[in-house]
Amino acid sequence: MEEKAPLTEGVYYILLSLYEPRHGYGIMQFVSELSNGRVVLGAGTIYGAIKTLVNRKWIIPLDEEGRKKEYVITDTGKLMVEYEIKRLCELYNNGLAIAKGEDLP
Amino acid sequence: MRKILYRFFVDFEKEEKWVNEMGAQGWHLQKFSFGRFTFTKGEPGTFIYRNEFISGMSSNEKKDYFEFLKDSGISIINELGGWVYMKKAAADGPFEIYTDTKSKIAYYKRMLNIFALLFIINAWMGIANISIFGDKTSFEFVNQSVGIFNIAAALLIAYPIIKIIKSKRLLEKDLQFFE
Repeated sequence: MEEKAPLTEGVYYILLSLYEPRHGYGIMQFVSELSNGRVVLGAGTIYGAIKTLVNRKWIIPLDEEGRKKEYVITDTGKLMVEYEIKRLCELYNNGLAIAKGEDLP
Repeated sequence: MRKILYRFFVDFEKEEKWVNEMGAQGWHLQKFSFGRFTFTKGEPGTFIYRNEFISGMSSNEKKDYFEFLKDSGISIINELGGWVYMKKAAADGPFEIYTDTKSKIAYYKRMLNIFALLFIINAWMGIANISIFGDKTSFEFVNQSVGIFNIAAALLIAYPIIKIIKSKRLLEKDLQFFE
């Protein structure tokens, strides 16, 4: 059932940033830009998340050529992002429908 | 200009706060060892300092993590006894190692596991060593003072353990409502 569990904001944004290969600091910068500075991920938080995501095979490290290790999202990872987008859509639409009196989807 | 100060903190968060206050006055941490802090004079407030308990990481993992930190614009000051001090330029914006509730809780759990183990070993060794007192052996005095040392160590470890448990509980309560 783990597939359907909500992702944390951090994990969701880390996965999104890895549609292109990036290293840790690149993830941090991308996420910060994407969220207009709202989500600034600490190095320890990113490091822990990367380790877990690699273990689950949602992302994979690329072959080390340079010194900085880069990661990229896998198909499983992309599937998780798609589940999450569906869930967020549901939350968003229901929220608008009830709080703003718009039509229920 | 260098300044060496001897301070002993039972509370690692208070210690970190003090190191940052020194930095705000222009005294930048150069090196730390047990209770001994070396500072050098520089521009006030140019760095933010953080400590982290990394005991339990394998040497490979540690190398990997330090590399990662360096890539993120963080400099390692030094590492000793499972603790590491690091700094980042204040101009780079806020600097926290753990920024969400889940990773903070995971960090506290890692700390608690090792602190609890140290507490149990010291308390147990302490009791064992002291209770040998009365045995008519030539090492009687040694045993007793080692025992007292162990008990003292156990009590010192108990303080951060209680503090971490409290902080962790607060975060876990938060998690019922917020991410």
